[in-house]
Amino acid sequence: MSRRKKWNIVILTIGVPLLIAAGVRLFHDRRYHLISLAIVLVACLPFFHFFEKKRTDTRTLVVVAVMTALAVTGRFIFAPVPGFKPVTALVILAGMYLGSEAGFLTGALSAVISNMFFGQGPWTPFQMFAWGMIGLIAGLSFLRRLLRQKWILLAYGVFAGVLYSFLMDIWTVLSMDGGFRLSRYLVRMASALPFTAAYAASNVVFLWLIRKPLGDKLERLNIKYGIGG
Amino acid sequence: MGDFASFHPAVSFVYYVLVLAVSMFTLHPVPVVISMAGAFLYFALTHRIRVTVSDAVFYILLFILLSLTNPLFVHNGETILFFMNGNPITLEVFLYGMAMAGMLIGVMYWCKCYQIVMTSDKFLYLFGRAVPRLSLVLSMALRFIPLFKKHAGEVRRVQKTMGMYAGTGITDRLLFSLRVFDSVAGWSLENAIDTADSMRARGYGLKGRSNFSVFPFEKKDLLMLAVLAAAAAAVLGGYFAGVFDFSYYPAADQVAFGSGLIVQTVILSALMLLPAVLEIKEKIKWNYLKSGI
Repeated sequence: MSRRKKWNIVILTIGVPLLIAAGVRLFHDRRYHLISLAIVLVACLPFFHFFEKKRTDTRTLVVVAVMTALAVTGRFIFAPVPGFKPVTALVILAGMYLGSEAGFLTGALSAVISNMFFGQGPWTPFQMFAWGMIGLIAGLSFLRRLLRQKWILLAYGVFAGVLYSFLMDIWTVLSMDGGFRLSRYLVRMASALPFTAAYAASNVVFLWLIRKPLGDKLERLNIKYGIGG
Repeated sequence: MGDFASFHPAVSFVYYVLVLAVSMFTLHPVPVVISMAGAFLYFALTHRIRVTVSDAVFYILLFILLSLTNPLFVHNGETILFFMNGNPITLEVFLYGMAMAGMLIGVMYWCKCYQIVMTSDKFLYLFGRAVPRLSLVLSMALRFIPLFKKHAGEVRRVQKTMGMYAGTGITDRLLFSLRVFDSVAGWSLENAIDTADSMRARGYGLKGRSNFSVFPFEKKDLLMLAVLAAAAAAVLGGYFAGVFDFSYYPAADQVAFGSGLIVQTVILSALMLLPAVLEIKEKIKWNYLKSGI
């Protein structure tokens, strides 16, 4: 078992139940949104910790910064086309070409930074986690090769749109009720369907459009400089 | 003592963590109102009136929306106002929705205020040593964004001059944006390699290198930390003593101003209104000095 996996297991198996127990004891099991915020933040920790400990190449570091900045700048560049946000597509490409850690980092940092321009709030950790996970999954070694195929990549774009929407709806429900109500979550998911569809469609269009140009550039970095392995 | 942003970054950060935690702790109406008032006042004092008003309109609409949607899903409470589709709509549900909305909007305003005080250089100063790589990536990305935006603008103008995708249809706009994006991506990724090599050549990541910062930890910071610690202890004590217990169901409690709640109200007001008060003090001082010229 690698070091990272150990850390993940330690934090997720001890930290999260501890937080839930603390929530039940101290707040009489009523402050779900506070506890869930803490849990989401704790869930992000192992990835950040691993990134700090691993001797990442300086070049990879800078490329992650560039991908993050491109994701945020993309929101400005594509501003003339309403409803099109390239963040998810870029995070997916970062994951599949640069690896899981870089994918998670690009996703999580894109959330933090783009919210500096578009409004920070209690939903930021949820966004960090959602985008981070999308990048992380795209970087899993068995998926990386599969995602090179166009249709599988586009299908993953749909999946990412749905995943993002569902994760964010958890936050919406928690923030409205201070507790998790399944009925409300289902209603919320149903009422958010048009948005979910729009997310998924925009991901597909973006992946379809930038798969080749950006993918080739990242591939070149890999071949020429050995970035992302 | 200067304005609120002049404190040491660690003090500002502790303040925000404390205020956000306290705001999210409880749905008792008194803390909710104080939190909203403190955050809104500070926001209003640090922004132009036009921005403040247009922002406030959005949050008032959000407040109404949040408090009105609660009755659609919850049917607790004993004071039935009317029936809708056979479901009882109760007064308690409205009150709960309003408290929840108030708490949320307070937290949102505090987050907006956080950005005024905790600028990225302060954040990096605080966490640069604990998470050097993460904060390096963060600060680089923050610098790249204006750089890329400027470059994107240049590419856009050149493409326009060349007459590319001059149409106004959505396909043309999309393809045009894509072309700009493609160019920016190629340029920036190539730049990234140069930057990384340059960093390595200058010894990035070697041992014994230190950072420059201009944040001295002064007496007033220590004082402020002590005040914050005392306030945190007092509020936490009040919380466990049940001062902030307030149940909405089945019937909403009355706000009873006992001695405990009065003390807590004073403490919370002092805590939450501090940034606004310091800002007002600075404004008065500034105007006084200006009048002397």
